[in-house]
Amino acid sequence: MRPLGLSHFLKRNLARAGALLFGIVVLYPLVGLIVPVGSWRWEGSGAFDAARVSIGLTAIAMVVVVALGTPMALYAARCSARERLAWQAVLLVSVLLPPLALGILISLAFGQHGLGLFLEQFGLSMTNTPLAFVITQVYVSIGYYVLGAIAALDSVPRPLELQAALLGHTPWSVFWRITFPIARLGFAVALSLAWVRALTEFGAVVITAYYPAGLPVAIWTNLENFGLPAVMPLLIVFLITALPLPWLAHLLAQRRSTQRA
Amino acid sequence: MLDALIVKQRARFRIECNVVVPSGEACGLFGASGAGKSTTLACIAGTEAPDDGYVRLGGETLFPPQRPLHERSIGYLTQDANMFPHLRVSDNVRFGLTNGARDNEAWVAQLRERLALESIWNQPAHAISGGQARRVALARMLARKPALVLLDEPFSGLDRHLVRELLTTLADWQRELRFTMLVVDHEAEILERLCDRAIVLEEGQVVQDARWDILHATPATPLLAQLLAPL
Repeated sequence: MRPLGLSHFLKRNLARAGALLFGIVVLYPLVGLIVPVGSWRWEGSGAFDAARVSIGLTAIAMVVVVALGTPMALYAARCSARERLAWQAVLLVSVLLPPLALGILISLAFGQHGLGLFLEQFGLSMTNTPLAFVITQVYVSIGYYVLGAIAALDSVPRPLELQAALLGHTPWSVFWRITFPIARLGFAVALSLAWVRALTEFGAVVITAYYPAGLPVAIWTNLENFGLPAVMPLLIVFLITALPLPWLAHLLAQRRSTQRA
Repeated sequence: MLDALIVKQRARFRIECNVVVPSGEACGLFGASGAGKSTTLACIAGTEAPDDGYVRLGGETLFPPQRPLHERSIGYLTQDANMFPHLRVSDNVRFGLTNGARDNEAWVAQLRERLALESIWNQPAHAISGGQARRVALARMLARKPALVLLDEPFSGLDRHLVRELLTTLADWQRELRFTMLVVDHEAEILERLCDRAIVLEEGQVVQDARWDILHATPATPLLAQLLAPL
């Protein structure tokens, strides 16, 4: 075999240096965490209250997203190609709607001229309430979850499900014993995307639920009222709650697909 | 008894295939590649829906209306072993057993021994070879003791030694357990080892339904004569 020459070595290392530079550029904004902005102001920053609101209500929103989104994903993944395209088009609308526009549309649709009057009969309000917060989060994240879950279901070969059914398993049993275990990492990725999308939503939530203030809104108000020292603690809590889950889920999914390949 | 009439429109032709196999007997479905054999089998299994016709098994109507797959006592083995990759070999074999009855375990032990699965019994299914996967798939299918066994070229791509071994085992079990069997293959040699009789399909139509000696002696079409001629 002919030995690889110097030019190959240089080309390869040049490409690696380019990739390294790209990685540094991508991660560069994190330098902001060590930029001196004065003493961080934990007291009165509302970091923990905002985190409690964000995590608690996002968790409720995720339960709704999974409960409504999973059957939808199952249906869309198994219907005809033409029908599936139509459902994907609908889901893409929810993904692609600009957040601010979505927030305004939600407050109008669920306001006094929409469903608001009906909801008020049950003592429910869609302005500055936990309900408004959760419903907005569901709207901004469910499209991501369903589209991700459809992709996860696509990774399960249909003949395996048919074989399991012919071996006497009901559709429910086939889902739990075959479909879900094979697609579970894909579901985790879909859920983590929905989680981070809902947790970090600002544009839509600031319209429908300025109160109770979650992390994004609290960061904004702290920035406006007290400046960066009061923002940094919130930012740390925000990154810790938003980043690790999807990061880990994606890495695990990537590792599995690499192992399979 | 399996009594089926499968009518299904394909891109190039229309399948109209009548299959009758008495209980406990084995029958081949023979023809050139693309004759509609696999589609016919899939329609009988229920993984595809016929456009028209009927499928009856032992007095029960499976189509129409299309009976759910889990309510059919059918074992279906295709060219792909369709292992459940997240389960161990033992869990794959036991997958179709609805209870842990002792007679099931005795039968599973027999399958494990006859199909030489001991060495891979506790291995994850994704870690076994293609030939081993076919043996596991055969064991998994037979573990339930289905009333009807459908085989769609289940031995293609395997080495001759393994094919011979599996054919002998399968033929023995068919005689022993008396399940009804319909086997698709485009190699007459394989079908002749498993079945006394074959239905011959050409472009979706049955051109002959007879014992092998008759098929060899008086093939109904020139194509059939070519398919049966020695290489």
